Amino acid sequence: MAADTARTRVLPPYLLSAPALLLYLGLFMAPLVMTLMLSFNSFDFYKGILPGFGFGNYLEVVTDEYFHEVFLRTFGISLAVTLLCAILGTPEAYILHRMRNPWKSLFMLAILGPLLISVVVRTLGWALLIGDSGVMNELLLGAGLIDKPIHLIFTTTGVIIALVHVLIPFMVLSVWASLQKLDPAVEQAGLSLGASQFTVLRRIVVPQVMPGILSGCLIVFALTASAFATPAILGGRRLKVVATTAYDEYLNTLNWPLGAAIAVLLLIANVIIIATYNKVIEKKYAQAFQ
Amino acid sequence: MSFLRLEGLVKRYGDFAAVDDIELSVEKGEFVSLLGPSGCGKTTTLQMIAGFEEPTRGRVVIDGKDMTDVKASQRGIGIVFQSYALFPHMPVAGNVSFGLEMRKVSKDERKRRVMETLELVHLQDFAQRFPRELSGGQRQRVALARALVIEPEVLLLDEPLSALDAKIREDMQIELRSIQQKVGTTTILVTHDQSEAMSMSDRVAVMNEGRLVQVGAPYDAYEFPEDLFVSNFLGKTNLLEGKVTARNGDKITVQIGEAELEARDSSVAVDERVNVSVRPEKLHLTAAEDGRLKGQVLTRIFLGNHWVYQVQSSIGQLLVTQQNTGQESAREGEEVGISWSVDGIRVLVGE
Repeated sequence: MAADTARTRVLPPYLLSAPALLLYLGLFMAPLVMTLMLSFNSFDFYKGILPGFGFGNYLEVVTDEYFHEVFLRTFGISLAVTLLCAILGTPEAYILHRMRNPWKSLFMLAILGPLLISVVVRTLGWALLIGDSGVMNELLLGAGLIDKPIHLIFTTTGVIIALVHVLIPFMVLSVWASLQKLDPAVEQAGLSLGASQFTVLRRIVVPQVMPGILSGCLIVFALTASAFATPAILGGRRLKVVATTAYDEYLNTLNWPLGAAIAVLLLIANVIIIATYNKVIEKKYAQAFQ
Repeated sequence: MSFLRLEGLVKRYGDFAAVDDIELSVEKGEFVSLLGPSGCGKTTTLQMIAGFEEPTRGRVVIDGKDMTDVKASQRGIGIVFQSYALFPHMPVAGNVSFGLEMRKVSKDERKRRVMETLELVHLQDFAQRFPRELSGGQRQRVALARALVIEPEVLLLDEPLSALDAKIREDMQIELRSIQQKVGTTTILVTHDQSEAMSMSDRVAVMNEGRLVQVGAPYDAYEFPEDLFVSNFLGKTNLLEGKVTARNGDKITVQIGEAELEARDSSVAVDERVNVSVRPEKLHLTAAEDGRLKGQVLTRIFLGNHWVYQVQSSIGQLLVTQQNTGQESAREGEEVGISWSVDGIRVLVGE
């Protein structure tokens, strides 16, 4: 009798979550596991994928300087994009927070707008804008402000600019959410104690929305590190990041096992960075926030 | 020459006048309450004194200096907010020390003054705690210490006790008043709680619909309300409509229904329609045949130190309170007499 009731208590939650669990296992875990298995196989230019188990692909990535450069570039870009998003997105969120309707809704739409358009279309838009004979250069040349076009397309700078545009809504939303929790009287309290508006922002507002900024950074970093479309279009053939390199291995050289190894390494690096980051942040903010 | 003066202060939002021509003078060291129902403009007035709202018209003058166009951060006013508005990411000492840092006070001096002020509010042992580790009453004290440590010329209290529960609120009322008297800071309290305003302040300024209706010592405002609003808002009262039927010197007779009532008043004319206000504690229950009026007890409520009766009489239902003196009280349904002294009756003109 007791066992019966115990079973009826244990079973239903599992049964109820079974459909979602199966979907998760089938659509997310299975490809991941298959990619992992694939990365241990080897490849021959004439015979194709050879089944087997070895760390050859990993060894190749770890020892080849070409891959070092790709990984370093990827995390360099990620770091730059994250910092820029934090520096631009935090004030943006604060200004948005202080706005009144209808401007608030209007600007919110402008910020979130990019998310409603396909990444590919948006990136091609950037290509038209910053290309050597793009709108920006034509205008500046026409106005006589520069003698030769500013070279942005196919450069790291160009990729960073476009990625910041793509990813800043995530930062704004994250900071905006923590601004909502801010007691408006806290700013007035700071002012009444003799602090300037800037000091109030620096010493009172920013520290309180820090958790929002930090989680925004996490989202932006992870998304940049695995970004594909923007670096593929604006980076061109030579400026490779990890995601585009894996893509090349799969589709150009048809070396699927090596591509899988690169993908797995990117995943591992991302997980390590994010986990470390979380640990450090949690430690730092454990006392004041919970 | 008064210390803080509000001169013809007006705040309009579109067509709506939130604050309508406020004139108020506060002496140095005085404790004045702005008292009124929500939406009466008391908080807007406070925000204008603090510098967070710009007046549409009028001036705010502190110690002879026109502060109307001075920024909030330059006014040197201490504020305790309704939500306390403590800085949650700083410990208590950091919160209190913030205003001194802004004033570029040296580190040693800062430390000394922070500890001094924390001692004043009995929180010297909590300097390193964070606000979220404190109770409501303790947060309240931190907010007070933070406002007082900068030795402000004026202290503004925006409903500072409304978030506390009843028992702590009473203790804090007494403590707040004694701290204010000790440091002698000119203080403006904004509240909708009439007992809070009356128990703490030297004078109450009653506000209604953006205007100041009456300014006076708590006793005077309570005993001699100038209009119906004040008599209703400050404490409970029995309001009766009637007509003046006779005058004899400063004594008048007011006809209320079937009954006639005597009162003292020098301004109203015979035949004028008036309202008569009688506080529940000015009425006494007597034996049925001894009173000026006969009545029947409908309900009675025991509140520890006193009883509240609802009595049906020929001039309508009356509220009567009586001290709990330990004697047998009138029961529900009992026939009683109601008596009063002529001096306890106020005559008010107006709707």
